Amino acid sequence: MSIPLNIDWQQILLHMCNFVILAGGLYFLLFKPVKNFMDQRTAYYQGMDKAAADKMKQAEEHEQEYRRRLDDADSEISRKKEQASKDAEKIAETILNEANRQRERIIAEAQKEAGREKEKMLQDAKEEIVELAMAATVKMLHGEAVSHE
Amino acid sequence: MSGKKRVTGVVVWLCITLVLLVCGLLIGAPAVKHESIREAMKDAVLHGSNRISLLGITDVNPALISAFTITGVILFVSAVIRIFVIPRFRYVPGKFQLLLEQAVGFFDNLAKSNSPHRNRFLGAYIFAAGVYIFIGTLFELFGLQGVTTEGASIALPAPLSDINAAISMGCLSYLAILSGGIVGNGFRGIGSTLKDFSLPISMSFRLFGALLSGLLVTELVYHYTYLSILLPVAVGIMFTLLHALIQTYVLTMLTALFYGEVSEPHEKAKIKQKKNQALT
Repeated sequence: MSIPLNIDWQQILLHMCNFVILAGGLYFLLFKPVKNFMDQRTAYYQGMDKAAADKMKQAEEHEQEYRRRLDDADSEISRKKEQASKDAEKIAETILNEANRQRERIIAEAQKEAGREKEKMLQDAKEEIVELAMAATVKMLHGEAVSHE
Repeated sequence: MSGKKRVTGVVVWLCITLVLLVCGLLIGAPAVKHESIREAMKDAVLHGSNRISLLGITDVNPALISAFTITGVILFVSAVIRIFVIPRFRYVPGKFQLLLEQAVGFFDNLAKSNSPHRNRFLGAYIFAAGVYIFIGTLFELFGLQGVTTEGASIALPAPLSDINAAISMGCLSYLAILSGGIVGNGFRGIGSTLKDFSLPISMSFRLFGALLSGLLVTELVYHYTYLSILLPVAVGIMFTLLHALIQTYVLTMLTALFYGEVSEPHEKAKIKQKKNQALT
């Protein structure tokens, strides 16, 4: 019994064999190498993309780190400023106290010196008065003696 | 200046056309055809009379010789490309490299989009099938001649216009789909593939019908001298180029679609896999 449309199993198998050879050959000669190349290129660009993303992330981290450091530096500066201000106030107070003490000491010394000067002047005046009195007495006595003579 | 060039071009073109027309008419009556149009068209469908000897072993349909020729040419060109072109591929592709990448990428993406789970074999298969159908259909445009066992000269047809080639293509595609079902889902995959038992028949006869219709119309047009002026340009484009593109797309698309459907992991297997992942 003949098969309709002259279907021939032998030729079907030969066509299949032909296609299997073609498919295998195309896979090894064209499909696989081209696909491998495309995959390799995709991997290359993905690697570049990933490296760029990593660098970007790293840069962002650095930026954040620098910002944090900058903030720390600002707070450090204000803290040091405050500390310096306190130190300056303390030093100024110390200097002022010292000046006050010195002033009081100078005044006390000046007062003592003035007292001493006053004493001395009084003493000198007393001595001078005594001397004057004695000179006057001598002069008087000498005048009386002359007149008696 | 450009207007003058254009006029010269048109004049040259008209002269060439006129000379060819005159030559065609002066050559005289066409050679005596060994068969009528009725016989030629019947033979195109049934391949009853025009057979070619396959290296003296057996007589086969001309389409088988076409298939072997196409395979030889494709493999030779592929080998040349593999040796001389692919090693010089660059990351920024040239025109020819782009063409190759587009061809491979198109079928690979078709496989990936229709069968996301398992697509490496499918991509290679539909690439080969696509190249075979496309180049095989365009092959008839070259009008390569073969000598029949009766000593007559005939133009080698597109391989897939032969029912045997179409059946082999349809059956191979079905087997490829079946293999995807087995690898993807085991016995369940076989079941779901066998469910579509009409697939090889529909695939085979779709290819055969589409390419045969083109062949018959082309045969009809080329059989008469008076129809062979200007008309073959439209016929060649309509029934060869478009068929080449459409049939390539249809068969590869259907194969990828069914392959993806039968090789998709079953729901229970997915749940089990998720459970295992959760446990680990």
